Amino acid sequence: MAHIRLENLVKRFGKQTAVDSLSLEIKDKEFIALLGPSGCGKTTIMNMISGLLQPDSGKIYFDGIEVNDVPPGKRGVGFMFQNYAVFTHMTVYENISFGLEVQKIDRADIDRHVREVTKLLQIKHLLSMKASKLSINDMQKVALARSMITQPRIFLLDEPLSNLDAALRSIMRAELKRIQQELGQTTVYVTHDQVEAMSLANRIAVMNYAVLQQYDTPHNVYNFPKNLFVANFLGSPTINFFDGYYRNGEFRLKGFNKGRFILSRKNKAALESELTHEKIMLGIRPEHLKLKDTKTDMGEGLNAKVISYEPLGSKVIVYLHPDAEPNIIIKSSMEKGYKPRVGDLKYLEFTENHLYIFNKETTNLVKRFTL
Amino acid sequence: MVQKLYVRILKYALIVILALISFFPVYWTITMAFKPFAEWTSATGKIFWAPNHLTLKNFKDVFPSTTGAFFSPIPESALPPLIHSFVIVVVATIIAMVVGVLAAYGVSRYKKGGQLPFFLLQLRMFPPIAVIIPIMIMWAFLRMIDTWYGMVIIYATVTLPFSTWLMKTFYDDIPRELSEAAVVDGYTDFEAFKKVVLPLAKGGIASTALFVFILNWSDFLIAYIITDKDWATIPVHINKLQTALVGQLYGPKAALALIALIPPVVFGILIQKYLVRGLTFGAIKK
Repeated sequence: MAHIRLENLVKRFGKQTAVDSLSLEIKDKEFIALLGPSGCGKTTIMNMISGLLQPDSGKIYFDGIEVNDVPPGKRGVGFMFQNYAVFTHMTVYENISFGLEVQKIDRADIDRHVREVTKLLQIKHLLSMKASKLSINDMQKVALARSMITQPRIFLLDEPLSNLDAALRSIMRAELKRIQQELGQTTVYVTHDQVEAMSLANRIAVMNYAVLQQYDTPHNVYNFPKNLFVANFLGSPTINFFDGYYRNGEFRLKGFNKGRFILSRKNKAALESELTHEKIMLGIRPEHLKLKDTKTDMGEGLNAKVISYEPLGSKVIVYLHPDAEPNIIIKSSMEKGYKPRVGDLKYLEFTENHLYIFNKETTNLVKRFTL
Repeated sequence: MVQKLYVRILKYALIVILALISFFPVYWTITMAFKPFAEWTSATGKIFWAPNHLTLKNFKDVFPSTTGAFFSPIPESALPPLIHSFVIVVVATIIAMVVGVLAAYGVSRYKKGGQLPFFLLQLRMFPPIAVIIPIMIMWAFLRMIDTWYGMVIIYATVTLPFSTWLMKTFYDDIPRELSEAAVVDGYTDFEAFKKVVLPLAKGGIASTALFVFILNWSDFLIAYIITDKDWATIPVHINKLQTALVGQLYGPKAALALIALIPPVVFGILIQKYLVRGLTFGAIKK
């Protein structure tokens, strides 16, 4: 089908850089997610891939052929817009067949394609309805059907689920995955929702401020974030960061009266071969940060006071602050049934293997120990 | 929040007064059209709030069967001016709409045209009377005085700012993604405009056209100066309805005004369903 390569794409709007020298390779039949906060350049990238926007510099290749000068209609892309862009003055049938009408195809063939695609999406019963009368959920499916019907080589989905309510979103997420596997198109999926990106994509490109932060599998993006931004953006509740410094085998953490974490000898050597700077940020995900009532042997003075907790059914999120700094919030994810008392003093426990060590100045990941 | 009673009474009283003030001329025109001479003339010194003896004489008088009669109070039929008005205004409105609809799209969607919208707006910044004398002189040189095309050019030019600006606001409300979706599907920009944007802007086009039509239809000043005998329009003809003997012929004037009211009203009713702005703008969920 299609393999996409973006090479040093730059797009500016006035003084603002929307996309800054982006290079990205998307394999044939791959499903990738562009993930990032609003305004980080995701939609601009989609518009450039589709040809609606010309990059200021850089090249776009489909299957190794440069397509910079190919008009959008000839690129073989299907684009589903965030606001669905359903034509409300037409019926559902006219909406869906719209992309085929222009290709001078036989009426009967158009009809057959429309039936096929509406069967796949289970919206056959809506065909004669006016598009303006559709519910938001059906509108989403019509938009999907319309962009699918031309059997594009490349499928661009711009936040397709963001307008749906939470229950339907998870159903449509599964649906999208099924459809993509059935059709096997190369798909670029824009979202700001990490759950969508993690569950759908083969690879995730995390964007921030026009710059690609990391491009990797969901597993690697989550477990080996390249920098503070990526670590912070993925994961719910968000990762804990501790400001501090490293010296001679131990971390001293701010916010605690006497916060020390001592590394094992094996890891000390491994870290020091890579650490050039002693100011660090220590990251640890809430699910790896456990609370103990009695002193643990892993560190010294890592004490925190319980502020509140949220029983979420399958787990309990406990919010604490370190003993010397009430403005820092620490999150810990505990097993269900865990019931702390507000104001209790707890001992934090985590293992070296779950630590992310970031360089405080460059914000890049320095080390994550593995077993 | 519940308003105090006297505030509400005051509010409604004000609305009623304003309504009365604005509807009174309409009421007066309609009733006067059906009053016989003795009731609409001021010569008797009496005011008739409603016609005592309903008559259609005024309507007959404005269309005299024999024109040019020496003793007739109204020597000319109102039929030619009605036709003139219709031809001039319809052609001018079509031109203003075609140009406005296209220009506004370029301005709204492609940000092209630079200062064009502002230049257009400038056309409306001074009263037409300020330029009508030079225009009359120019038109005289060009032999366009008292011609239908001379009038069409002026009317189309004068209303173009309205059609362009109004259409621009309608286009601004149509999400860009709609035409982009068509372009991605392989339609050209113009096809996308024709198939997607234009149908969605129907309501805007209809109300803009009505507005432009009314503006042109009701113009007196320009027509009064540019036209004479051959292409006099309805407002000009209404003005002519006066004699040395009785002065202003208010009855026939009112009757003709009532007739002149019909085209804009019919037009308005025909496109009524498009007049509700925002009817078609449900394409996106914000």
